[in-house]
Amino acid sequence: MTNKTIAERAVYDKTIGIVNNNPLGRGFAHPIDLAYRNGELFVLNKHPVFARVGVCNYREDYLREFGTYGHGDGQFWLPTGIAASDDGHIFVCDEFHNNVSVFKVSGEFVTNWGRKGSESGQIDGPSGVAISQDKNILVVDQNNHRIQEFTVEGAYVRSWGEFGTGPGQLNQPWGITTGKDGSVYVADWGNDRVQQFDTQGTIIGSFGGPTEDEGGLHRPSKPAVDEDGYVYVSDWGNESVKIYAPDGRYIQGLRGEATLSKWANEFLDANPDESIQRDISNLMPDLPDHFNTPYLISTQIESYFWGPSSVIIDKTHRLYVVESSRHRIQVFNLV
Amino acid sequence: MVCAQDTTEQRSLMAHLTRRIGFGATQAELDKLETQNYEDVVDDLLDPGESNHLPDELVLRYHTEVHEQRVGPWSAKQWLYRMVTTDTPIVEKMALFWHGIFATGYAKTNQARALAVQIDMFRKFGLGKFDLLLEELSKDPAMIIWLDNQDNHKGAINENFGREILELFSMGIGSYTENDIKECSRAFTGWTLKNAEYMSVRAMKDSIWPYGRISWHYEYREDDHDDGVKTFLGETGKLNGSDIVRIISKQRVAAEFISRHLYDFFVADEVPVSQWPYTAPKDPKAIATLADAYLSNDHDLKEVLRVLLKSEFFKNSRYERVKCPVEYVAGCLRVSSAVNKPTLLMNEAVSVMEYMGQSLLNPPSVEGWHEGTEWINSGSIVERVNFAYEVWGNSGSIEVKDITDRLSVDGDMYAEEVVQSCLNFMGPLELTEEATKYAIIDHVSRNGLIKFGDKSSKTRSQAEERIAEILALVAASKEYQRA
Amino acid sequence: MQKLSSKERCVIAKVNEKKLVVVQLSGGNDALNTVIPYNDGDYYDNRPQVHIDPDKALKLDANLAMNPSMTAIKRLWDEGKVAVINGIGYPEPNRSHFRSMDIWHTAEPTKVLTEGWIGKALRELDPKSENVLGGINFGRGLPRAMSCPGVPVASVGNLDTYGLFPSVSDLQDRNDLLNVFSQMYGGAQGRDAVSEFLSQTGEDAMVGADILREAPNKYSSSVEYAANPLANSLRDAARVMFSDVGTKVFYTQHGSFDTHGGELPVHSKLWDDVSSSIGDFVDDVREHGYGDSTAILVFSEFGRRVKDNGSGTDHGSGGVAFLIGESVKGGLYGQYPSLKESNQLNGDLCANNDFRSVYTDILEDWFQVDSVPIVNGTFEKFDFFEC
Repeated sequence: MTNKTIAERAVYDKTIGIVNNNPLGRGFAHPIDLAYRNGELFVLNKHPVFARVGVCNYREDYLREFGTYGHGDGQFWLPTGIAASDDGHIFVCDEFHNNVSVFKVSGEFVTNWGRKGSESGQIDGPSGVAISQDKNILVVDQNNHRIQEFTVEGAYVRSWGEFGTGPGQLNQPWGITTGKDGSVYVADWGNDRVQQFDTQGTIIGSFGGPTEDEGGLHRPSKPAVDEDGYVYVSDWGNESVKIYAPDGRYIQGLRGEATLSKWANEFLDANPDESIQRDISNLMPDLPDHFNTPYLISTQIESYFWGPSSVIIDKTHRLYVVESSRHRIQVFNLV
Repeated sequence: MVCAQDTTEQRSLMAHLTRRIGFGATQAELDKLETQNYEDVVDDLLDPGESNHLPDELVLRYHTEVHEQRVGPWSAKQWLYRMVTTDTPIVEKMALFWHGIFATGYAKTNQARALAVQIDMFRKFGLGKFDLLLEELSKDPAMIIWLDNQDNHKGAINENFGREILELFSMGIGSYTENDIKECSRAFTGWTLKNAEYMSVRAMKDSIWPYGRISWHYEYREDDHDDGVKTFLGETGKLNGSDIVRIISKQRVAAEFISRHLYDFFVADEVPVSQWPYTAPKDPKAIATLADAYLSNDHDLKEVLRVLLKSEFFKNSRYERVKCPVEYVAGCLRVSSAVNKPTLLMNEAVSVMEYMGQSLLNPPSVEGWHEGTEWINSGSIVERVNFAYEVWGNSGSIEVKDITDRLSVDGDMYAEEVVQSCLNFMGPLELTEEATKYAIIDHVSRNGLIKFGDKSSKTRSQAEERIAEILALVAASKEYQRA
Repeated sequence: MQKLSSKERCVIAKVNEKKLVVVQLSGGNDALNTVIPYNDGDYYDNRPQVHIDPDKALKLDANLAMNPSMTAIKRLWDEGKVAVINGIGYPEPNRSHFRSMDIWHTAEPTKVLTEGWIGKALRELDPKSENVLGGINFGRGLPRAMSCPGVPVASVGNLDTYGLFPSVSDLQDRNDLLNVFSQMYGGAQGRDAVSEFLSQTGEDAMVGADILREAPNKYSSSVEYAANPLANSLRDAARVMFSDVGTKVFYTQHGSFDTHGGELPVHSKLWDDVSSSIGDFVDDVREHGYGDSTAILVFSEFGRRVKDNGSGTDHGSGGVAFLIGESVKGGLYGQYPSLKESNQLNGDLCANNDFRSVYTDILEDWFQVDSVPIVNGTFEKFDFFEC
């Protein structure tokens, strides 16, 4: 699939990022999710040893980082989802620790809560967090196939969902977001769709589905919603991003068209032996037949999405797509 | 369901077959196989269907790094999941077999995804015609970089691949001349990968920047191919790489070389390959039989394997091999049914194979690993015993519970009966020495009779713990180190 | 009564303390770019793409310089503690990795042996194998050099996690299990050679593990080792050495030096690893008072071809080895091979001394054992060692 469009809602702008395989420093290490607040981008890295949150901005300044790999307070093991509240707190859920950690935007650790289990209020493999309309914390309870809502202190409020394929049922859901009207959108990973619920958990809509056509999804990881109710989905299994109108109509698909970021250029300037070869290489070659899945194609074509794990929209009509296997964020302007 | 004391020759033979052609079988699997005819089972195994392995997407979602596979161990982890959860272990075992011969390593390629693609190629072509496999290998980009064939140019040959394809991959030292190596290298000029210069500078520097690695694929550069006349193994012409493969594949020495490798891997440990030019095979007649099968079946490896598996020399080779670390680890995990969803235990399993001396996807050189008793030293034996103890000592494992249920059928048992039964279940370790058996019996009998109670009772849980410990000790034994 | 000379007395007093550290460079180290004939025009003629910038090379004398990455080893050279053996090899060089490495390991170029020179030396030093930790390989697998029937060798991949049943926390339970293991592996006659081998190995492992477990607890040092696998191995070796368990040989390896392509950056990084690790190790050994009794041998299975192939070099012969230590008489040994085409051996450097001479020095003068049966012949010594 190329960047064919029916209508154009998102136009490519630029790429932010570079791979970093050190415990610190500018760059990303398996970025899995992203939260936006006041011009700052909080990137959650799910590297097996260098897990942390890195903070940067659209202008590609690397501002700070916090969190490290480990089992202690403020540490991560398999951190999978991140969200930012208006009042300046960052929430990170960890699917190994089965908890939610709370930080100030400065990176200072505040508290954590959560316990493994299947009773109400217990979570198993939380893979996404979002702030609800009531300023509570919505947690995607992956292995219990449901959504749970907690106060910021971790007190149980409500939950909804159960395993299944029917409307309102879920199968290993992944990412979550909320719309302007408070409705809750969940990437229903195992059912290849995004479901929309009202604030009480009643199903009100569905996007995508397990179809083979271009409007279908395959193991979506996260939804994002703009002010008009258009839904943007990181279609993880198809290495794509799909855009739907509020009524569910498929509008546009993106395959990715990354260019060199500021940090990428810095690296290549310092390594002319590589940049010389890169400049004369064809980075969009035809591939032999046995590279016949989106995944395999993305391993070969660097500009395509590879591991699109999250999408978010900021307050300036920008769409950010986070790629865990390319360690970067592709930015699109929404028209 | 089999009762504790029973073990038949048929069951023992099936256990042997599944160990060799795969990574071992659970009691439930052996129940099914035991009732079938051996020849039919072999034919079935050689016609593998759907693998039904634990879905990749589950593994890739949980282990985010395995989605990228930037480094060898991350690809090795995915392969290990495959070995442990597949319904068609023969495919993985053949891939492992070829990986040991066409040894290509991460340490130089710095490209785990390309190695994963190579392993996938072994899955597809490993049980087919040798010519096809060797040709795919010559086009495999990981192999090209590994043996510098991207530096093999018209007018300026690099002999690395040209040498090793003969010495190590098909014929063995002594069956060709230095001139054959040169001509062979000339024939493979132009067999390179797309964007070779950029890819090889990144491989050499282990460059992951800016956005991770770009994987590789084959490209033929006609203008860099030396299309002059060449003479290789007595045949003259404007030979290209495919011709070399064709000529090699029909040589008797190639048939014998591959047959000896098959014998070494599936029948009984041979001396290291570097000694093959000077040391006769353990069973020259067996090698000759396999070589005949190769030549009379148009080089079809499946048919050679069919002859091998149905032969008397195979059936009589129980425990003639020392398990390589991959077999040992994959076997423990598979037979104890330890993995049915993504788990961080697999991180440990990949590391521990390295400590045991086998870094999957990273053999120490193009000559692969030295196998047999060379796997065993005071360092590796500690790693093996500890790992087996951890996996089998888990009383919550499905297989431990199943074995406990089978034992409970005969009521409460004394140590001697239980231990003998466990030795049967885990092997059967019919070659068990007295020392092994009585060491475990002494230990178990200190806590008296084993009471099973009712299913799901507390007594049953306690029995499971005791049985787990016995199985763990059996897995730590000398006999269990062998296949 | 014959009076012992001071040399003999000195030797006897120290004989039980001598230790050898072996650093194997796997893959065939390019000798020409390690010890560089920087004033020889033939060097630049033959190595248009793969030569070292003479301005960056570390000068040893008017003719030879070391690779720029070797700063720590150069420092030791300046102190007179590095013996450089140029043009080292053996007759009829073999350019196959495993075969050539096996030749170095077994000290026999003409036929395939499975017993290694170090294994045999350990057997001489401890015929009854009273010490199961006489030789330790810091790394995975067992190098053939240390392999000898009846000689126990520990392979310690990671000193900090070494031992049997470490997950069993209850001491009594653990001891019970160790007893079971000991019985299983301590049985009388095994049913075949493999079984006996397993028994022997298991027993040795048990004993060795118990002892090695203590070593890290006793270690304290001001030296911060570089961050690479060789440095980790040498640090493990130091920790064991300082716990005085009687280990005589510490073996480890680094690689891959098989630089067919892109040699310059790869070779440079490898030597940075090797040199800095050895420097750190020597500092550590000195700090703890083991300097005089420790010698380090650095070798590779072959050198590389005289001409480069445009981006790297192919397998060759005629290499370089190093012997480093307080008791080593530093200097240049052997002859630097001539690069003149007429002096080459099919495009390779001609070795002018046999590696078994180096082994002979080590066996006779360092370890005080008869070298002839171990190296399968008599070879002229270099006389590296001071008392």
